[in-house]
Amino acid sequence: MDLWQLLLTVALAGSSDAFSGSEATPATLGRESKSLHRVHPGLGTNSSWKPKFTKCRSPELETFSCHWTDGVHHGLTSPGSVQLFYIRRSTQEWTQEWKECPDYVSAGENSCYFNSSYTSIWIPYCIKLTNNGGTVDQKCFSVEEIVQPDPPISLNWTLLNISLTGIHADIQVRWEPPPNADVQKGWIVLEYELQYKEVNETQWKVMDPVLSTSVPVYSLRLDKDYEVRVRSRQRNSEKYGEFSEVLSVTLPQMSPFACEEDFQFPWFLIIIFGIFGLTAMLFVFIFSKQQRIKMLILPPVPVPKIKGIDPDLLKEGKLEEVNTILAIHDGYKPEFFNDDSWVEFIELDIDDPDEKTEGSDTDRLLSNNHEKSLTILGAKDDDSGRTSCYEPDLLETDFKGDEISEAAQPQRSEGEADLLCLDQKNQRDLPYQDISPAAQQPHVVPAEDKPRSLLAGEIESTLQAAPSQLSNPNSLANIDFYAQVSDITPAGSVVLSPGQKNKAGNSQCDAHPEVSPLCQANFLMDNAYFCEADAKKCITTAPQVERESRAVPSFNQEDIYITTESLTTTAGRSGAVAATSGSEVPVPDYTSIHLVQSPQGLVLNTAPLPVPVPLPDKEFLSSCGYVSTDQLNKIMP
Amino acid sequence: MDSKWTLRKAGSLLLLLLSNLLLCKGTASLPICPNGAANCQVSLRDLFERAVILSHYIHNLSSEMFNEFDKRYAQGRGFITKAINSCHTSSLPTPEDKEQAQQIHHEDLLRVVLRVLRSWNTPLYHLVSEVRGMQEAPDAILSRAIEIEEQNRRLLEGMEKIVGQVHPGIKENEVYSVWSGLPSLQMADEDARLFAFYNLLHCLRRDSHKIDNYLKLLKCRIIYDSNC
Repeated sequence: MDLWQLLLTVALAGSSDAFSGSEATPATLGRESKSLHRVHPGLGTNSSWKPKFTKCRSPELETFSCHWTDGVHHGLTSPGSVQLFYIRRSTQEWTQEWKECPDYVSAGENSCYFNSSYTSIWIPYCIKLTNNGGTVDQKCFSVEEIVQPDPPISLNWTLLNISLTGIHADIQVRWEPPPNADVQKGWIVLEYELQYKEVNETQWKVMDPVLSTSVPVYSLRLDKDYEVRVRSRQRNSEKYGEFSEVLSVTLPQMSPFACEEDFQFPWFLIIIFGIFGLTAMLFVFIFSKQQRIKMLILPPVPVPKIKGIDPDLLKEGKLEEVNTILAIHDGYKPEFFNDDSWVEFIELDIDDPDEKTEGSDTDRLLSNNHEKSLTILGAKDDDSGRTSCYEPDLLETDFKGDEISEAAQPQRSEGEADLLCLDQKNQRDLPYQDISPAAQQPHVVPAEDKPRSLLAGEIESTLQAAPSQLSNPNSLANIDFYAQVSDITPAGSVVLSPGQKNKAGNSQCDAHPEVSPLCQANFLMDNAYFCEADAKKCITTAPQVERESRAVPSFNQEDIYITTESLTTTAGRSGAVAATSGSEVPVPDYTSIHLVQSPQGLVLNTAPLPVPVPLPDKEFLSSCGYVSTDQLNKIMP
Repeated sequence: MDSKWTLRKAGSLLLLLLSNLLLCKGTASLPICPNGAANCQVSLRDLFERAVILSHYIHNLSSEMFNEFDKRYAQGRGFITKAINSCHTSSLPTPEDKEQAQQIHHEDLLRVVLRVLRSWNTPLYHLVSEVRGMQEAPDAILSRAIEIEEQNRRLLEGMEKIVGQVHPGIKENEVYSVWSGLPSLQMADEDARLFAFYNLLHCLRRDSHKIDNYLKLLKCRIIYDSNC
């Protein structure tokens, strides 16, 4: 193979007269359909045009012929100088010689005809064109690849039928295969393609290829004349042969009463009706359901809206309501107003004392041991109502027991007070009476910060009060948890408005007989808060113990919270206590905290006592409620 | 419910079995033996018709495959040596033109066909495997190669049946030409490998045309008495 290629290139590169008859390699070009030409620079030809192979074809797979173009300059090139040589492979080897074309005539000018003796199917051929000895063109192919049959002959047609309308007709077209194609023996199998058109048309209508030699053509119009032509090709080939002669089909004319023209699509009518219908629909829509259509066509633009809030509220300026509504949403913190604002947000959930005890702030503040005590309480220790901000400038307002939530808010002129108040607010479940001031005092006064101890004391005191409270939880609850701070003394103690303290105090005091045995222990434990009655009883029962016990905590403790008041009045406190003991004094509901004794508890300023009884032994004044400083001063010597 | 379900199952299974039997029966999916007899005699005409259809189909496929390959791989590569390379079946003596084909006896011609068909068994098998291994194995070529291989086997079986009918009792040695082009199909050099493919496909197209022609000739001669 490579040798042949080499030789070929050599042969092509050189220019010699020795090509004819010499050992020339066959041209190795591509398929015959594409003519790969390696045209020699053209010795001896002055023209730029070289003879080229136009096509080679075999009409029946038995012979073939090749055609070429002549050089442009007829005059310049001698006509007879163009030669064709061929070579074919037989069995395995190429014949060594290029042979000249056997017949230059039969196929016409500039052609070479190979008859059947020279033709072998399925054998590669190579041909070359020479001009004065110089190869100008070459081609290689196999015969079965260049089959292009002749056109069919003897076309004729017959009328099949005519439609009932008399407009259309069907015909059958028949033809004969090309005579040189031996289809009878099956050597070549042809398929045919029919084309027809009206006489005055330019575009032929093409039908699908058929294998048979007759085919029906349907739906020809009777008033028109047609032309038909057929061409054939070998099956499995791509190239068709030439077209046959055109067959003219003249259909019989019908009577002049034939039907009219074809039905043409009534575009005009359709358009008219369509427009009419659309306008009708439009009118119907416009006049019937206006709103809907308006909504459909022009949907309303959504205006800004906040969920749950009536825009009218905003217009009228009811900010409170808006605030409450907005408070639902997270992150909204309404301003704190000067009036009643912080009290507003104090929740008083009195109805369910059991709930309140759970998770009360007292729990959090105290250790777990005290939690049980808290749960037993059943009382709400929410001291959020207390103005235990312990500000000297707290506002004094009237306070009514059942309107705890609207208690006056002490003025918070100082930041610390604010903090305290806010803290206070959070401590909802603390025991009302004791804890809040106790909790707050450590912040305010630079004493030792033992809110826990204070609270412990408070809680223990409230333990005593618990049974009484439990017995009447609902009725008492309203009263005991919140108290309005009526005043804050210059000394810094808190003055609470009286409210309904009497009841509580009485109840507590009433309950005290039961708790009297606790007195001793409590005294020892230094409960800060005692009812006056308690104190009396405790004192009476164990005076000596009391003395001792009282003596112990009195002033011996370093962590006693002492106000200026207390300093002045502690001395006389015992007297005050004594004075108060033994008599049922209608004490006000609230008393200011006079002394915070840690860890024992609070000492409260006594209520104004009708008879100041000096009780020198009694150092601790325990009253059921808070005692104003003035009262205390009176009590004290 | 259970009984119905089992009945349905059984029925469907039975149906499946029957359909399998029916489908798997005819190799060429023709109702060759409608009576279901084991040794049925299929008419020669049907056999030839079937064979011609198959050979025509195979030639169609191989032409398309060659065109596809030429379009995809041979452009610009200058596979101009197709005329030089021979096919492995060139060694088999075959009639080269109509006269020779008409002169040869139909039994010999049948044998020639058989030989050529047998010679293509191995190359087609390797063609399929090698086309699969080509990078970006073109589906158009691969599917056709697979189809040609299968149809070639069927055609071979059909031809053997025809030979058994036309010349019963004659057992000839299975002569065929050996194909040794597998190494060239597996060459590392892509150009050389592609040229080997090109050559093989070209030979396949040529041989399929040859067989198709022979069979059509035989059909017209034997069945229609040279009057197709």
